[in-house]
Amino acid sequence: MIAGCAPLLRVHELSKTFPGLKALDEVSLDVHAGEVVAVLGHNGSGKSTLVKVLAGVHQADAGGSVQVRNAQGRLTAWSAAREELHFIHQDLGLADILSTVENLGLGKPARGRGFAPVHSAAERRHAQQLIARFGVRFDVTAPVGGLSPAQRAIVGIARAMDGWTRPDNVLVLDEPTTALHGDEVRILFDAVRRVAASGAGVVFISHRLDEVLSLADRAVVLRDGRVVADEATSRFDHDAMVKLIAGREVADVDLAGGSGGQPVLTVSGISGEEIHDFSLTLRAGEIVGVGGLQGSGREQLGAMLFGARHRHGGRVEVAGRKLVPGDTSAAIRSGVAYVPADRRRGGAIMDLTVRENLTLPSLRPLRRRLGWIDRQAELAETRTWMRVVDLRPPAPEQPLKLLSGGNQQKVVMAKWLRLEPRVLLLDEPTQGVDVGAKAAIHELVAAAKNNGTAVLVCSSDTKELVSLCDRVLVFKDGRVISEVARAQLTEARLVRDELGLDANLKTDNTE
Amino acid sequence: MKEAQVTDVQAVSSETASQTPTKTQNPQVATESDPWQVRLRRVVAFRNAAALYLFAIMFVIFSLWVPDTFLTASTWRSLLSNEAVTCLVAVGLVVPIAAGVVDLAIGTEVGLGAVVVARLLVGSVPIVWAVVLSLLAGAAVGMFSWLMITHARIPSFIATLGVSSLLTAAIAWISGSQQIVNLPGGFEVLGTGLLFGLTWPFYIMVVVALVLWYVLERTPAGRRIYATGGSIEAAQLSGIRTSRVMLGALVTGGVVAALAGLLLTSQLSAGDPTVGPGYLLPVIAAVFLGSTQFRGGRFNVWGTVVAAYVLAVGVKGLQLAQLPIWIPDLFNGAALLLAVGLAAWRRKPGTRTAWVRRLPWIGRLAAAGDKDMG
Repeated sequence: MIAGCAPLLRVHELSKTFPGLKALDEVSLDVHAGEVVAVLGHNGSGKSTLVKVLAGVHQADAGGSVQVRNAQGRLTAWSAAREELHFIHQDLGLADILSTVENLGLGKPARGRGFAPVHSAAERRHAQQLIARFGVRFDVTAPVGGLSPAQRAIVGIARAMDGWTRPDNVLVLDEPTTALHGDEVRILFDAVRRVAASGAGVVFISHRLDEVLSLADRAVVLRDGRVVADEATSRFDHDAMVKLIAGREVADVDLAGGSGGQPVLTVSGISGEEIHDFSLTLRAGEIVGVGGLQGSGREQLGAMLFGARHRHGGRVEVAGRKLVPGDTSAAIRSGVAYVPADRRRGGAIMDLTVRENLTLPSLRPLRRRLGWIDRQAELAETRTWMRVVDLRPPAPEQPLKLLSGGNQQKVVMAKWLRLEPRVLLLDEPTQGVDVGAKAAIHELVAAAKNNGTAVLVCSSDTKELVSLCDRVLVFKDGRVISEVARAQLTEARLVRDELGLDANLKTDNTE
Repeated sequence: MKEAQVTDVQAVSSETASQTPTKTQNPQVATESDPWQVRLRRVVAFRNAAALYLFAIMFVIFSLWVPDTFLTASTWRSLLSNEAVTCLVAVGLVVPIAAGVVDLAIGTEVGLGAVVVARLLVGSVPIVWAVVLSLLAGAAVGMFSWLMITHARIPSFIATLGVSSLLTAAIAWISGSQQIVNLPGGFEVLGTGLLFGLTWPFYIMVVVALVLWYVLERTPAGRRIYATGGSIEAAQLSGIRTSRVMLGALVTGGVVAALAGLLLTSQLSAGDPTVGPGYLLPVIAAVFLGSTQFRGGRFNVWGTVVAAYVLAVGVKGLQLAQLPIWIPDLFNGAALLLAVGLAAWRRKPGTRTAWVRRLPWIGRLAAAGDKDMG
């Protein structure tokens, strides 16, 4: 933008390699004063790795460089001038029970103040002024937990900017709009524009394409760790952008076609915290995908259907039997299995062994007289399942916490497949597993489908949805905004629908 | 007397070896193929049985220091008998702790059992009924704690701490803060009757420990208790009714504590309102030290039994050496911190390095084995 002047931030050929994965591959980008640069990319494109490297959480590979403009207007190594970069992370890092004034104070070292009272009028005024710079007003003495998401985001930004000695610092916003809706986004964007207008450089990390195009001056698109485009936003149109983000189409995994046996799971008109009026009919031998951005309702669907998360209204029926919310045990007995996204917290019990985890949902068949668990039978069954899911090494007495993520997930899959469920609800089934385990888990899902299990896959990984599913429901703001049949299923299509780019999606898809 | 303990431990050891071959040398056939030497080495490893080594060290020290008193049969006989009550409470506490609830009211539950049975007996209730009713009182306390935790949604530490204070008040009210004396004849048999030189409480403790061991290690109920304690969310998602599991665990803990209390009253021939709280610390120390024994960091019955006695030996030895009266508190406190610290140290990733280093090797071995088979 401001040519001739040194950029505020220069990232040059930055790479970051994790074992078995090149997360960033020679990424270069410049940020100038007064400029809003959007960094775009889908899940796993390297956006968050970039932020973490800039924030110093990860160490970059040798070879690349990050430079920041110092007070003299020259570029210096970023290790010497890290204070010139300010980060606002997705969760904002605010203490909900403290007021705005107190939260603003958290960032500063309490130099020499010790036990002096903190609620001074001067501090309140200062906070008011800081907030007013963003064109908003609210009670700075109220706990921030009671503020709207946009107001909270502004408190976060104000805190990051409080105490800048000069205006031309760099502000990095990591997915700040995830929790925001409509008007709130507008308020936040207005604040961000004011920051840029005051001479700062803003890096705006997001996957909400439409919003970003309206805010940013320039967009850098990442895919598989590489910069695939770096252009002024005025030169982009939506379709071109979607293609850039999604990349090439992936080859189909061979799934025996033919879906649509008897309806097994019928859901009509249920609602929950984020989801409104959801209905679905899932047939035997069918894999239905659920896509959507973070916060679209996609993350809550599986747990809601299983009864582990609050829901109200409507009905959920499995083969004609009504499921009551809150009773997971009854859901399991009706033939529903649920693999939650968070393996460590909900999927399995890390302190128990492979054997104990595997048999946990159904111990009754192994029970002998006096309530004794038949060890030999249990071990034999464990061996069988370890072979089916190809657990390596097949050590039944290993505590689960000592296994790799992929192996843990295989155990979780085995634990449910053992019950031969009618309905298999999968939430992010391959998150955080290596490529080999991912393929193995996909095969297990396909095998379950061929055995007549009805499968629902909720995933943020569009590639996974495209390769596995017979049809995909796309969530946005708690509602299904489109249903994509296998014939039309491409990553670009899913990305576009998740972003809500087509105005006439509904009519478009009612085939 | 020492032999009795050692046999116990061996029974446990062989049992553990068959079910926890975690450090598998040959991954293909994990359980059966380990030669007995490997299994034995694993069983006697310091980490797996630190309490036994501690016992050996203390035994040597006290044998040299106070040989006249420490090395007599009567010392050991009284130790096994007198500490049976502590051990019983500890064994009962294993169940709620395994289910994820550290029941801080356990001490006052003992006290409640002690005064309730005494009050009932003095009120000329038949012995059998007095025993049953005081056990029911223990169950009721467990149920009340459960209500506070699962229905009032109070964190278990705070809930049981509050219940503990309520019980302190109840004990004072029931007893009038006086010892309840003049118990009917015949009741003292429970606590003081002898069988093969040991008092009844020892055998009662062994029976309770056997039952709880069976439930925890061998039945679906036990599996569900460990699952609930491991991760309540994951347990729920596996279809376990965790609320019921916690009810069962707390009631079990309450009943066993009440049983210990009434045995105490029988031993003392009086309902003493002050006996309960003193049990809290040694018992928690025993359970946590016990969790570092035999079962790879899992709370378990036999580890707790051994730990309770090892701690008791330490306290006894120090008393025989005529050290000041505050020594038992010092010893128990230090043991608790050490035991919990030891458990945390076991869990620290750094201490697993030996394992991690071996993992790729195991992976290769497995792959090679597959190739051989194919």
